[in-house]
Amino acid sequence: MSRIALTGTPGTGKTTVSELVAEKLDIEVVHLNDAIREADLVEERDVERDSLVADLDAVEAWLDDRESKGADGAVGSDGAAGEHERDVLVESHLSHLLDVDRAIVLRCHPDELNPRLRERGESEDSIAENAESEALDVILAEAVERHGAESVWEIDTTGRPPEAVADDVAAAIEGEAEPRVGVVDFVEYL
Amino acid sequence: MSESETTRDKWGIAHVHASFNNTLITVTDLTGAETIVKSSGGAVVKQNRDEASPYAAMQMAESVAEEIKAAGIEGLHVRVRGPGGNDNKSPGPGAQATIRALARAGLEIGRIEDVTPIPHDGTRAPKNSRL
Ligand SMILES: Nc1ncnc2c1ncn2[C@@H]1O[C@H](COP(=O)(O)OP(=O)(O)O)[C@@H](O)[C@H]1O
Ligand SMILES: [Mg+2]
Repeated sequence: MSRIALTGTPGTGKTTVSELVAEKLDIEVVHLNDAIREADLVEERDVERDSLVADLDAVEAWLDDRESKGADGAVGSDGAAGEHERDVLVESHLSHLLDVDRAIVLRCHPDELNPRLRERGESEDSIAENAESEALDVILAEAVERHGAESVWEIDTTGRPPEAVADDVAAAIEGEAEPRVGVVDFVEYL
Repeated sequence: MSESETTRDKWGIAHVHASFNNTLITVTDLTGAETIVKSSGGAVVKQNRDEASPYAAMQMAESVAEEIKAAGIEGLHVRVRGPGGNDNKSPGPGAQATIRALARAGLEIGRIEDVTPIPHDGTRAPKNSRL
């Protein structure tokens, strides 16, 4: 079993793409944003950003626990509950901060990210801070710092349909694509 | 002009944007409203990122420093945005190189502030998990 992070700035398409990937591959998808809220894996509240600050140790423990229980119903071939076989795709802009085997980072040009976030009803302050984060490669840099460039697949979604992005994500999971970083440069947006 | 006004005029703010692949410097007046110098960006040679990034940023900072001094600025407060802000082992090593080059060019460096944005939706990472 391996644990794979599908990360990227909010609005880059993680949730959309994870659902398409689940249709293609025999993989379990964890929507971490939902889990953080439902299982209260929270340290404090960021009032200024109207955002819950995740307790990453609690998140890690929650993930370990559900995997050891075989939360998706899978049971090892010897009949023992525990180690299950399916890979887990953890979908969240925090997932690269966890103990994962690989990280797939979705990217989107800020000019295209802005309208996506606006349509979703985010505040103008949030839109601006997320767009700036994307332009500065914040999540990509964190993923590379934590896991090394040899474990990171950066995928540009700009101007591409979710299905095409899902194909690239599936190829990364299946080991059919080489790790690759440094594929975009959005600083001219700043 | 009073002495404090004269002194004020000699200071600016350097906004250092250090991304994974690139470094950009903008120098404004102390209000942030007026741009004095905007750098063209220290783009990184991709094949050799680790060495190329600080080097390109340093070269850019040197030419920015000359322009700033020509405009009569003697000191800079620095606002760093970017994952490479605090640690030159991390992937945006342009920030430290930029600050050092500005200081070496004879500019006085004042407050250095990290104003790196935090990606967030309904959730965000704790500060100490960031790099
Ligand atoms: N490749 C894409 N092209 C255009 N729009 C997209 C794409 N992927 C996602 N979207 C749209 O952008 C918005 C954010 O997508 P979502 O999957 O919720 O992102 P995330 O989970 O990364 O925050 C949604 O409205 C979604 O329909
Ligand atoms: Mg989502």
